[in-house]
Amino acid sequence: MKNIFKSELTLSQNGFLFDHGSGLTYTLNPTGQFIFKNIEEGKQAPGILRLLINEFDVSEETARKDIDDFFRQLSEAGLID
Amino acid sequence: MAPKKTYSKPTIVRHTVGVMNKFGRPPATVPMSRLSGFSVEELAGEYGSPLYVLAVNELRERYRDMTRAFQTRYPKAQIAYSYKTNYLKAVCSILHQEGAWAEVVSGFEYDIARNLDMPGNKIVFNGPYKTREELIRAFNDGAMVNIDNYDEMQLIEDISDELGKILEVGIRVNMDLNNPPWHKFGFNIEAGHAYEAVKRALSNNKLKVVGLHLHAGTYVDDVTVYSRAAQGLVDFYAYIKEQLGVKLKYWDIGGGYASRNTLNWAWMPAEQTCPTFDQYAEAICPILMNGPFQAQDAPRLFLEPGRALVDEPFSMITSVVAQKRLPGGTRGVVLDAGMNVLSSVQWYNYNFQTAQDSGQMLEDTILFGGLCMNIDVLRQNASVPPVRRGDLLVIPHVGAYNISQSWQFIYLRPNIIAIEDGKIHVIKKSDTRDYVQEFENVPDEFKK
Repeated sequence: MKNIFKSELTLSQNGFLFDHGSGLTYTLNPTGQFIFKNIEEGKQAPGILRLLINEFDVSEETARKDIDDFFRQLSEAGLID
Repeated sequence: MAPKKTYSKPTIVRHTVGVMNKFGRPPATVPMSRLSGFSVEELAGEYGSPLYVLAVNELRERYRDMTRAFQTRYPKAQIAYSYKTNYLKAVCSILHQEGAWAEVVSGFEYDIARNLDMPGNKIVFNGPYKTREELIRAFNDGAMVNIDNYDEMQLIEDISDELGKILEVGIRVNMDLNNPPWHKFGFNIEAGHAYEAVKRALSNNKLKVVGLHLHAGTYVDDVTVYSRAAQGLVDFYAYIKEQLGVKLKYWDIGGGYASRNTLNWAWMPAEQTCPTFDQYAEAICPILMNGPFQAQDAPRLFLEPGRALVDEPFSMITSVVAQKRLPGGTRGVVLDAGMNVLSSVQWYNYNFQTAQDSGQMLEDTILFGGLCMNIDVLRQNASVPPVRRGDLLVIPHVGAYNISQSWQFIYLRPNIIAIEDGKIHVIKKSDTRDYVQEFENVPDEFKK
């Protein structure tokens, strides 16, 4: 599946994100970067949730809420629909 | 299996410029994890959240600093602590230990002071409404009573007849110092009312004018206002001395001194704008020392600080109970403290510091109070790092008005603790349902 970002985005190794469409820049923290890269690879929320729980020390409940909120932030920023 | 990586809430923050001014602020990402040497987490665990915490040594230090600043410039300066700002018994008692007198504005506050064994002659009694009984008690105790209006003056003349003696009084005056002017209290100097009031007071041989009281305003961070107030007192004293032969035992330049909390409409942080006690004293004392008297006859100078003494030594610990994403993308965080215990959010942009290391990713956040009321917003726009339910925040400088104006509303009011020399004292227990309903009654006719 193709990634869902609306414009071309480039994420640096330390979490600096450049939006080629708008020229805006963002900073993502390590968990934000982890989720972002998985979205780029075309993964969807349930899959990302499993990967996040395997990789980080976090409960499923917390991770689920946080992923939901992260998607909302991406949407409010206009990066996804 | 490799250990899992440390988790933090995933965030994406858009870069913006221009949100800081050139003076900066203490970064909200530096956790304030300890208060008076104790872990914030442990204090909240033991005494609950929200929780008011008083650093007693800071309160003592502020009293001593203010006294030093004024007495080095005006030796007969005396602080009369403004009870209304925070009349917790422990707070008043600590300040009395340090040497403060009491400034009260009601019979209730007067009673608190007397109950703390303050003699009447160390109580300044102000305010626009004092009852006959309260005034009689005050005059019998030898308190300093400052007259606010003609009705009160006439009432005190009646009391003079009743007690069969000439009563010593102060006259409260006001002048053009602020915009809008503070003309609610006392008699206006520029309009001639203050002069008429002194003349009127002396006319029946029942009252003797021995004091003048002038209060500049509230949260006055411009020291030149105090210089003008001091000059106004000097000029007025010179005039009534010359015209009416008045000799003052005291003059009182009131309170209104600021604290390091930023007002909602100020763009400079209070850390930069709040004057020191030395700056206030330097603006006031040299002018008063040029008054119409020999140095040895200088009237006692009363200062009535409230906020400037008690605001900064208090902190509040509060917990995150929820967070949400608002339409428009702003983050909202709900706290367990509300306006009912933090009424000064009407005036202040409080500083909210996390108690734990929450990372560096600041995000603009609306901080909601926990009350089920739409108006309960503690800060419209705070830079807060990622937090989650259960995280603790510390709000510094909450000692002025929040406690004396707290409302019993929706939630029970929290514990208040004081810390000194490594010892924690509970100075007010949290409300209980029994306490709140103690004086209520359900008549039999209303029972189901």
